[in-house]
Amino acid sequence: MSDYILEMTGIGKSFSGIKALDGIDLRVAPGECVGLCGENGAGKSTLMKVLSGVYPHGSWDGKILWQGQELKAGSVRDTERAGIVIIHQELMLVPQLSVAENIFMGRELTRPGGRMNYAAMYRRAEALLAELNIEGINVAQPVMNYGGGHQQLIEIAKALNKDAKLLLLDEPSSSLTASEISTLLKIVRDLKKKGVACVYISHKLDEVEAVCDTITVIRDGHHVATQPMKALSTERIISMMVGREIKNLFPREPHAIGDVIFEARHVTCYDVVNPERKRVDDISFSLRRGEILGVAGLVGAGRTELMQAVFGAYPGEYSAEILVEGQVVKIRNPVDAISAGIGMVPEDRKRHGIVPQLGVGQNMTLAVLPGFAHLGRIDAAAELNTIHTAMARLSVKAASPALSIASLSGGNQQKAVLTKMLLPDPKILILDEPTRGVDVGAKYEIYKLIFELVQRGISIIMVSSELPEILGISDRVLVIGEGQLRGDFVNQDLSQEQILAAAIKQPTPSPRAA
Amino acid sequence: MGTQRVMHYFARYKILALLLAIAAIWVFFFFLTQGAFLTPRNLSNLLRQMSITGLLACGMVFVIIAGEIDLSVGSLLGLVGGVAAILDFSYHLPIVLTVLVTMVLGVLLGLFNGYLSTYQRIPSFIVGLGGMLAYRGVLLGITAGSTIAPVSDSLVYLGQGYLPPLAGDLLAALLFIGLTMLTVRQRQDRARYQLAQVPRWQDVVKVIALGLALLGFLTTLNAYGGIPVPVLLLLAIMGIFTYIANQTVFGRRVYAVGSNMEATRLSGINVNRVKLAIFGLMGLMCAFGGLVNTARLAAGSPSAGTMGELDAIAACFIGGTSMRGGSGTVFGAVIGALVMASLDNGMSMLDVDAFWQMIVKGSILVLAVWIDVISGSKR
Repeated sequence: MSDYILEMTGIGKSFSGIKALDGIDLRVAPGECVGLCGENGAGKSTLMKVLSGVYPHGSWDGKILWQGQELKAGSVRDTERAGIVIIHQELMLVPQLSVAENIFMGRELTRPGGRMNYAAMYRRAEALLAELNIEGINVAQPVMNYGGGHQQLIEIAKALNKDAKLLLLDEPSSSLTASEISTLLKIVRDLKKKGVACVYISHKLDEVEAVCDTITVIRDGHHVATQPMKALSTERIISMMVGREIKNLFPREPHAIGDVIFEARHVTCYDVVNPERKRVDDISFSLRRGEILGVAGLVGAGRTELMQAVFGAYPGEYSAEILVEGQVVKIRNPVDAISAGIGMVPEDRKRHGIVPQLGVGQNMTLAVLPGFAHLGRIDAAAELNTIHTAMARLSVKAASPALSIASLSGGNQQKAVLTKMLLPDPKILILDEPTRGVDVGAKYEIYKLIFELVQRGISIIMVSSELPEILGISDRVLVIGEGQLRGDFVNQDLSQEQILAAAIKQPTPSPRAA
Repeated sequence: MGTQRVMHYFARYKILALLLAIAAIWVFFFFLTQGAFLTPRNLSNLLRQMSITGLLACGMVFVIIAGEIDLSVGSLLGLVGGVAAILDFSYHLPIVLTVLVTMVLGVLLGLFNGYLSTYQRIPSFIVGLGGMLAYRGVLLGITAGSTIAPVSDSLVYLGQGYLPPLAGDLLAALLFIGLTMLTVRQRQDRARYQLAQVPRWQDVVKVIALGLALLGFLTTLNAYGGIPVPVLLLLAIMGIFTYIANQTVFGRRVYAVGSNMEATRLSGINVNRVKLAIFGLMGLMCAFGGLVNTARLAAGSPSAGTMGELDAIAACFIGGTSMRGGSGTVFGAVIGALVMASLDNGMSMLDVDAFWQMIVKGSILVLAVWIDVISGSKR
């Protein structure tokens, strides 16, 4: 009997002849948290799919020992029964069902005759949440009443309800706020004490550093290193991930800031479901030519809604007055916005960014198609020419422009979506969480692109939940909290604490204007 | 591994698989009918029979690619066909005017469907279901439930006429020259932008195969009167719609809307307008279908086009259109219509009971989609 609860050795997996994984080793001891690091496309998700049984035994090479015995799982059900539970990057909860129903999904407690035993499920669910020190959740409420942070914790409770001995956390914090992340990390630490093992996958290396005991780095499907966290530093991990040293994560470059080019006045958005509630409450701000305006705030503060209103894409009722170069422009929809010189790269790439069944190239030219057309017919050669130029400029890594965009890594997808919004030649470009789910290398390239754009006189609004990014890139920082503007800072000697304090402070009562 | 490779191949060359299926069906009926199935006369009839479903399928494939559905097209076809019959029979309108009025009416009703399901946000399934009943009701009302006959000879020509063989030969020759030139130009374009080329022999084989297919098609039909007018109409529409789908801004947007509507909207595209146009085109196809149907029967029938929507939708799915929207081809949909028509025609020749015909057609639809699903999802 070895000391490890899980031993994966020599794991290999090929897709139509191309090796996605080759000779990967991963060992986890009981109560240990292993951080799995690698760029997007390195093979982390594939490895997790092998381990969790999404790819059945026999469809990959190598060997998995689980509690000393060889694991031959045919499906996710088999691995869950063994005690290996994966928590996916995208939450897998049913929003309309209650917290307890979600926690007991697939293993409902029943009374004779198949009736649901709600009393018992509520009791067990409450006990489970109490055990995890999760507060402020009513287990009878539908999951959709809770924010992303709470939902993530509910996922963990659901996993533990399956008697998980090994938790696989795939980017668990990608939609969480700073305080929610610290709760999450605390819970992972508690779990370790109870002997539950974890594999923690995240691009946010500070989290990995805070919670993991051992780090395994993979790159291009190969095992690079497995070392105790104590012997490593963030810089060292990054350089192992990318295979080269990245000196400075934020390549700041000087750029000239001109006159005010854009103003948004009195933006107010009402909730789609409950029109009484204001998601954005009378926010006004301005932007100068060649300026990078960071927009910080907690998740759900109304940043995305504000940007959607500016771009004419807010789904509910809203009012706003937009001025571009001093002229009032009417923006009723994205068509108006783009013709007014405003572009937006949305937050949710999968839902709002990519058009999965079109090729990479066709995604890029979607907003400017009429520009290639003569009497409605697309000049395919001219289009292709533009695509090739854009792909080279942003170093989009795809074998061919005809390749489906869905098959690319997050970073390359993001570059394609960025290109789509750059081709109409915007004066103002809104980037909502531009580096979410993007690996370190692509992040760096996106930052470099941002500076290249402002040097050309384009103004950038960048919404981000990552404060280091806000501080590393912005010229000026807006802080939004509970739908209100809480601060407008010049980014000089600004600290993360200052931003956070502004974001969570109580709104000061202001005299109502008549 | 062998079956997996075959599956993969099928997924990639869906059209090839469909053509193989057609060949299999034809050979099957050829033997069972002692050769009667593949006579020029029967093939000519078969193509004429498929033309109505084919026309509807050409419109429907755009609707489905855009992620919508239109269940009203059978009734709509009946209605505009009935109106055409009334205009011709009762008002003696000149044929040109009858056709024009019918086309405008079809487009307007299609746009009305589209307006309800886009700007008014009523799901297209419901709009279609309502239209299926309501349009049929209007048709029964204006015809007082009886057949309107006879219609004029010039209208009948649209459904029963033939293109003179010489005109057909000329058209085919022009088409062949056009396609050859297109292939050559494509090669030149790709060479100019230094893009990867398929080997020259492949293009040569393609052009020769195309020429042979065209020649076979023409000699067969010329042996029995020439190209039927509705078949010519279908081929023209198929060509135009394929062009729209592959070469135009509108076509690209149809695919984009169906693949991810939100992302397309955020790319500054007026999504509602795209969908509205698609429904308008669908209405136009109903008008063509209605005209051909009335002309073929030489009468306006209150039951014309019943179940036409199901045939059209089935043709799209057999032709490889994705149920979730975002992918599909016009050519595939037409081939799907040919599959349906071949089954109808062959089984009728064999005097198969009507109930068996329904069972077989239903099973083929499910089977086709099943093959599509299993060959697509497994890697």
